[in-house]
Amino acid sequence: MDVAITGIGAISAAGADLAGNLHTFEHGKPSAGGVSVFPTSLSYPVFEVSDIQMEARDPHNRTLGLALCAVDDALRDARLPSKLSRYRVGVCLGTTVASQLNELAFYGSYRRKEPVSMRAVDRYLKGDLAEGVARAIGARGPALTVVNACSSGADAIGVALSWLRNRVCDIAIAGGADELNPVPLCGFGALGILSDSVCAPFDRNRKGLNLGEGAGLLILESEVVSRERGEEPLLYLLGYGSSADAYHLTAPRPDGSGLEASLRWAMAEARIEPDDVCFINAHGTATSDNDRIEGAVFKRVFGKDVKFLSSKGFIGHTLGAAGGVEAAFAAAALREGWIPRSAGFVHEDEEILLCPVSEKTPLTGRFAISTSLAFGGNNAAIVISRGPRNGSGVEHRGGA
Amino acid sequence: MNLAGIGVVFAGGRGVGAFEEALRQGWKPPRRREVAAASSQGTMPVYSVEEETLKDKAVLRKLRRADRFSKMAVLAACDAVKDSGIALEEGGTSLGIILASAFGPQVTAFRFLDEIVDYGDSNVSPTLFSHSVHNAAASYVASALGNRGPTLTVTQFGLSFHQALVLGRAWIQEGRCENVLVGSVEELGTVMEFICGQKLRIVEDGRIRPFECSPTPGAVPGEGSVFLLLCGEGGAKKYCGIRGVSFDAEPAEPFPDLCVLDADGMSEDETCYRQSADGDVAVAGYSPLFGSMMTGSAFHCAAAALMLMNQTRYGCPVQDNPHRMRLCTSTEPCDLEAIHCVKYSCTRGRVVIALGR
Repeated sequence: MDVAITGIGAISAAGADLAGNLHTFEHGKPSAGGVSVFPTSLSYPVFEVSDIQMEARDPHNRTLGLALCAVDDALRDARLPSKLSRYRVGVCLGTTVASQLNELAFYGSYRRKEPVSMRAVDRYLKGDLAEGVARAIGARGPALTVVNACSSGADAIGVALSWLRNRVCDIAIAGGADELNPVPLCGFGALGILSDSVCAPFDRNRKGLNLGEGAGLLILESEVVSRERGEEPLLYLLGYGSSADAYHLTAPRPDGSGLEASLRWAMAEARIEPDDVCFINAHGTATSDNDRIEGAVFKRVFGKDVKFLSSKGFIGHTLGAAGGVEAAFAAAALREGWIPRSAGFVHEDEEILLCPVSEKTPLTGRFAISTSLAFGGNNAAIVISRGPRNGSGVEHRGGA
Repeated sequence: MNLAGIGVVFAGGRGVGAFEEALRQGWKPPRRREVAAASSQGTMPVYSVEEETLKDKAVLRKLRRADRFSKMAVLAACDAVKDSGIALEEGGTSLGIILASAFGPQVTAFRFLDEIVDYGDSNVSPTLFSHSVHNAAASYVASALGNRGPTLTVTQFGLSFHQALVLGRAWIQEGRCENVLVGSVEELGTVMEFICGQKLRIVEDGRIRPFECSPTPGAVPGEGSVFLLLCGEGGAKKYCGIRGVSFDAEPAEPFPDLCVLDADGMSEDETCYRQSADGDVAVAGYSPLFGSMMTGSAFHCAAAALMLMNQTRYGCPVQDNPHRMRLCTSTEPCDLEAIHCVKYSCTRGRVVIALGR
């Protein structure tokens, strides 16, 4: 069964919707700054979302607010109504922060043996991300939150692909959402992988990642359902590959074989060859290990001329949202016919010997890949196409 | 799909043999633990896993830094593979792993918050942080098994195990993997016990009453892990087949020989289980053996699988039966073709896992 992508939604520090993000990628510059959403003694720059609409959507659950903004954006794009009770709609979203009861005020009261307000617990128990979105839009299909660390968003899209292929639902909303939170800020700080300046993915002088927040998702439908409601799909989700490093909790396997296996699996599912891929939206965190290993795998699988970029120079590392946000950007790039510059990259790294695109670049070709790597050694890759699997006549001619 | 192997870690011990023994022996009182602001005099009944149960140098030799949550998962998962007799190739990708948990490694997550509170934002432990993420346990399972297939951790408070089963079936059907380990793990800790004391009606005598169908059901918090090794229709069928998972709809096979009820006091209202008293179908519930858990359905699936394999009905451990359901009151041989594990969810209605011989 062919699975169409009929809607794209995104919110990040680069824009309150997909159009805003694309505008920033084309005309703007990275806007990292200090943390304002919670008190901290750490001064690492982060990419915060400052959008009043998002806070209004759910003032008590920032991650859900971000997700609902992206859902609105994607439903508009798909020309679907905001209530979806007519269809069997599944919701599969990745996150990290929203799955944990990380509320320091609640925990502080508990520790001090003071009277404890259970409001934080109630919010948490009612705040499962996928259930929250399903409730908001009246979705009646499966709802599942994926907590696979930084590949959660990409894995959620892979789960939705399986649902649709196995007719578990007719339409799926899939991607990820995550908010800035003290726990990952302190944790990544302790791991020594936060940069004290704006991040520079794949650059020789990269010093680590910047945390970000946001949400990004795709509306996926069986092609049949999409055509029944009068749509003519342009984009398709053709493949998903996932593999475990079975190596280390925080470090990727040095030979990159896990990432390579995911890439090859996703391309095999899509029935394409490496030469068919016109660009990769890389995980590209700007940490020393990630970018070196990812670059080596890209070179090994796709050759030295592969076009790739990291979105994180514009939006930071949005953790559980990253795979969803970056899949949304990859899909949008295929639709728009161009990819943005890989912000932050200036100097080639002799250890990588592969450079991301440094300026807005027109696309020629039909197939894009988005990669995600995660704590725990998870690797995920998805393949998106412009036009159906065996379609013709929709290839870009290089116009941007 | 077929169920080829089971691994269990619970308050009664480790291994499918220990679980079967507990099913045969019936109810045993839970431990009592000191809990801040508990419902009665500072102690609470809990079905907690003994530290001794988690000692296994052979399996855990490469996982010395793993927390308790991960250890429970690793032991149950490795036991399920061993129980199945399926040999995994080191570094192979034929096995998928899907771990479901409602609350994840919250004990480690709260320990990490302790670090932030006690030592400040810049002086926290990176090891605690990396173990506080939900997928650390599944990652350890993959490492312990040397398996490099798809490895996923999912959460949803009420139905994550059910959704994991649906996904496992989809993975097998689309050829993503040959076999799938689908499992659940939950851990108790002081904060979770405090929350349980505040949010649930804890039954002081330690007896969960699954057939009370109460608007204010009683709970005894539990912890543990169950993994099921699943394969396709042509694969090993040591225990039974899993014929499907249906959400808010009648399952394809409407008249099972037995309904196992997931009632354990974790819902705000269990009156809907009263519907299970209607008709001639026999009813059972085993949550008094392992405690109240959001993912307790996994334990009930394991119990149902054992019953189908052994063609034996296990007597219900607690048999308070105000609604005169057709309870299994004693352990006895029985011709069992189909068993439904039934859960009522406040948001999703009736959810059924249908198992067949």
